[in-house]
Amino acid sequence: MIFEERQVEKNNFSVRAALLFGLMILGLIAVLVQVFALQVSGYSDYQLAALNNKNYAVPVQSLRGEIYDRNGNVLVKNQPTYDLITRPNLIVDIDSFIEKIKPVISLSEKEISRYKKLQKDKAFANKELVLKKDLSAEEISRFQVRSFNFQNAFIAQRFRRVSDYPNIFSHVLGYTSRIDSDFESMPEIPRSHWKDVELKYAHGLIKGQSGLEEEYEDHLRGRHGQRIFEMNARGQLIQSLSFTQPKKGLDLYTHLDIGAQKSAAKFLGNRKGAVVAIDLESGGINVLYSSPTYSINELSNGMSENNFQTLINNSDKPFFNRAVQGRYPPASTIKPAIGMYGLSNNIVNWDFEIEDPGFFTLPETGRVFRGWRKGGHGKVNMHKAFLVSSNTYFTSLAYQADIIDLSNYLSSFGFGKKVCKDCFAEDPAFVPSPEWKYSIMNKGWVKGDTVNLGIGQGYLVSTPMQLANYAAILATKGQYIQPFLASVDNQKKSLKIWQDEKISNSDWKKMHEALLGVIESDYGTARSIRNLKEFQVAGKSGTAELVSLDSKEAYQDIRTSELLRDHSIIIAFGPMPNPRYAVSVVIENGESGGAVAGPVAIEVLKSLINE
Amino acid sequence: MNKSLQKIYFDPYLFFSLFLLSTLGLFFLFSASNMDTSIVLKQFVYIVAGFILMITISQLDPDIFRRNAVLFLIFSFLLLGITYLFGPEINGAQRWIRVGPFSFQSSEFLKLAVPIFLANFLFDKKLPIQKKEIGISLLVIVCCFLFVFRQPDLGTALIIAFSGLFVLFLSGLSWTFIGGSFVLLVVSSPFIWNIILQPFQRQRIATFFNPESDPFGASWNIIQSKVAIGSGGLLGKGFGEGSQTHLNFLPETETDFIFSVIGEEFGFLGVLLLLSIYLFILLRCLYLALSARDRFCRLVIGGLSLTFAANLIINLCMVVGLLPVVGMPLPFISKGGSSLISLFLAFGIIVSMGTHKKFLPQ
Repeated sequence: MIFEERQVEKNNFSVRAALLFGLMILGLIAVLVQVFALQVSGYSDYQLAALNNKNYAVPVQSLRGEIYDRNGNVLVKNQPTYDLITRPNLIVDIDSFIEKIKPVISLSEKEISRYKKLQKDKAFANKELVLKKDLSAEEISRFQVRSFNFQNAFIAQRFRRVSDYPNIFSHVLGYTSRIDSDFESMPEIPRSHWKDVELKYAHGLIKGQSGLEEEYEDHLRGRHGQRIFEMNARGQLIQSLSFTQPKKGLDLYTHLDIGAQKSAAKFLGNRKGAVVAIDLESGGINVLYSSPTYSINELSNGMSENNFQTLINNSDKPFFNRAVQGRYPPASTIKPAIGMYGLSNNIVNWDFEIEDPGFFTLPETGRVFRGWRKGGHGKVNMHKAFLVSSNTYFTSLAYQADIIDLSNYLSSFGFGKKVCKDCFAEDPAFVPSPEWKYSIMNKGWVKGDTVNLGIGQGYLVSTPMQLANYAAILATKGQYIQPFLASVDNQKKSLKIWQDEKISNSDWKKMHEALLGVIESDYGTARSIRNLKEFQVAGKSGTAELVSLDSKEAYQDIRTSELLRDHSIIIAFGPMPNPRYAVSVVIENGESGGAVAGPVAIEVLKSLINE
Repeated sequence: MNKSLQKIYFDPYLFFSLFLLSTLGLFFLFSASNMDTSIVLKQFVYIVAGFILMITISQLDPDIFRRNAVLFLIFSFLLLGITYLFGPEINGAQRWIRVGPFSFQSSEFLKLAVPIFLANFLFDKKLPIQKKEIGISLLVIVCCFLFVFRQPDLGTALIIAFSGLFVLFLSGLSWTFIGGSFVLLVVSSPFIWNIILQPFQRQRIATFFNPESDPFGASWNIIQSKVAIGSGGLLGKGFGEGSQTHLNFLPETETDFIFSVIGEEFGFLGVLLLLSIYLFILLRCLYLALSARDRFCRLVIGGLSLTFAANLIINLCMVVGLLPVVGMPLPFISKGGSSLISLFLAFGIIVSMGTHKKFLPQ
């Protein structure tokens, strides 16, 4: 190549080399710009992403608050038990570990196979695994002496949710049951992390399922804490970075009374039924008992599938809370309300008298409504009508009633509504009306239906809770407080005033006298219970017919089948003349109200008053 | 004769910047390997061997390379053939030759052989280069590319192709030809996509354009790499403190993704320092190329140093998310003996070509 050519070549090369090197330098600059975008502009996003990669937060279960009765006795508590917990990642040979620990801790084949199945994954992720729950005292001491041999295991306290009265408070306290996660309470922790929750209860994550445990779940639960682990990309826990203590749930103070509840359970015995008692001064519910019952201790700490099925399939329905869900005709206990309706609407007054032949004949159809006593009660005014529970008096009163007015009047006593402030799954039961009958049965309302209401039969149904609330209205002359079980944060009691301007103070006085006479006078239908106590009690008993029959003879025929027998009902309050407690008792298929339900009501009042 | 005995061919700028780079590399590798001293020690031995090799090679006269260029290419092809016949299959790829306790990647030699061969073939050709010469050059490039590509090793194959194309371009390829091939490339891209690329390579390119499509699968690597770099911030998390690196979120920390480790632990300032060293090396190579004694030396220096630059930039662009994932180490930093030795060989040749001067009569 000649010199000029070489010079041209060299220049040509320089240009091209500069071009390519320039491109490379541009590439370097592009990288630098991108790195700047990542590290400086996008820093906070990427820093967060890096933290989210490695930080693994798990909830730490909180202890639930305890539940107390009105005297400060504990009803539900957290009882410590001890579990043996292992660190599978420190166990070199699983079989020899099991062999070594078997003489110290007794293990069933089932426990061993469960452990072997789970330990591999836990070992990989550096997570803990329970080997044996609920250690005995001997097991604990045997283990502690030899603990230096078991660097890979330790004993930890785990709690059980228990009550010392597991059967008599089952419906009102309710039970807890195991849940997979409680992620709504901690939205900052991803749902999937709940599988690694640090437990406080041996049974796992628990949540109130019924009764007060459910109703006051937020109050009792407390706040779960959290532990943040450093985790690598393979899901192995490396170390604990931080720990926030869980906050124990608040204790719950109820108005329940252990003594009175025990009386209710004792005197109801194994009969089906319910008892509700209300403290008139505070509105607090002292007794809320439903029979038959079940053990909340078993249910809250893991009941076997067999036992659970037996409970579910029991024809007496032990899970059914008769006190707030049972629908019973109020029968004669409705008569005070009907009487007041009559007074209020000037249908009757205290002096008005009728002749009671023992039955009432509906003029329109000739249908006969019989009283409980053949031949009747002779001349009957309202006072006597309460004492002897004259059906004729109240059927002829109801005959003159306007059904809409009467329905509303009954509703004002709490019938057909939820009346308890904090009862779990309370049933509003039912007050009938013409529209209802038309829409359900496609039949018009007839006078006979109204007459039936007058004696608390027919379509009207109520719960024992409603009956107790009704008794409280009668006892306080309308100055009652909405019933409730527990008070939280000094919340205001809601004073409810039942008012009817047409009912005067003297009407109330006469009403109390009459209801007192039901139990305390020589003619009262419930006089059989008057000698059971030292104080005076007012009340009204009732016998709810399950089958509408026209004669006593017919009833004797069906009586042989226990499930068709009448329900025995009473509402009562005392001590008179200044009542402090109101109570209602319903005994299914118990027959005569005063004689059967009466003694239970008296015993409950006795334990409340004599405390 | 006496003169050449006295003279030691040595470029202090390249020597010190490479020394700095590989020393820093050891330091980074120590963290990236989770403080594995045996890995660092092995890398250290390769670096020492590499420097000795580089200094030795740079003493050779450029004419030796020119005269043996064809032999060198044939030798490299032989090694590839041996790999194909006897090489062990690792992770579905046949790339390695095992000699006793050592194993090396045979394709590394082509990175050197191809530019030297083409420089030798083209340095005495008249400008502009004729069609026949272009044809032969391209044939060599395509053959080498395909041989390595089917191992499969797309990264190295691309680098080899680039090394050849750089020499071809520097030797004076006409602009019309360049424009024409560019159009051809664009037109044939659907063909390349469908026939040549393996399914996993297509997957990588697809995830590059839509990384959120599969965050736990194919785009995991690139997402974690960006998180590592981004979370390093201005100053980094500190040596050994990178959570992405040490908790295994970042893949291939010792090899392809070591730059992400540097970004995470030393931040933007660390990256700036590292890139400055690379830039300095590139500029020094450009100077040596421009001041080399003849056309052959210019072409070789240009070809080898641009290949080094392309290798560097493809790796960087990949880990910061500017290019789809291609297996390619960060030069002088990533773990790996073959790559280090071939880099030191390349720089030995560059120093040899850049420091041997011939005084021509004016």
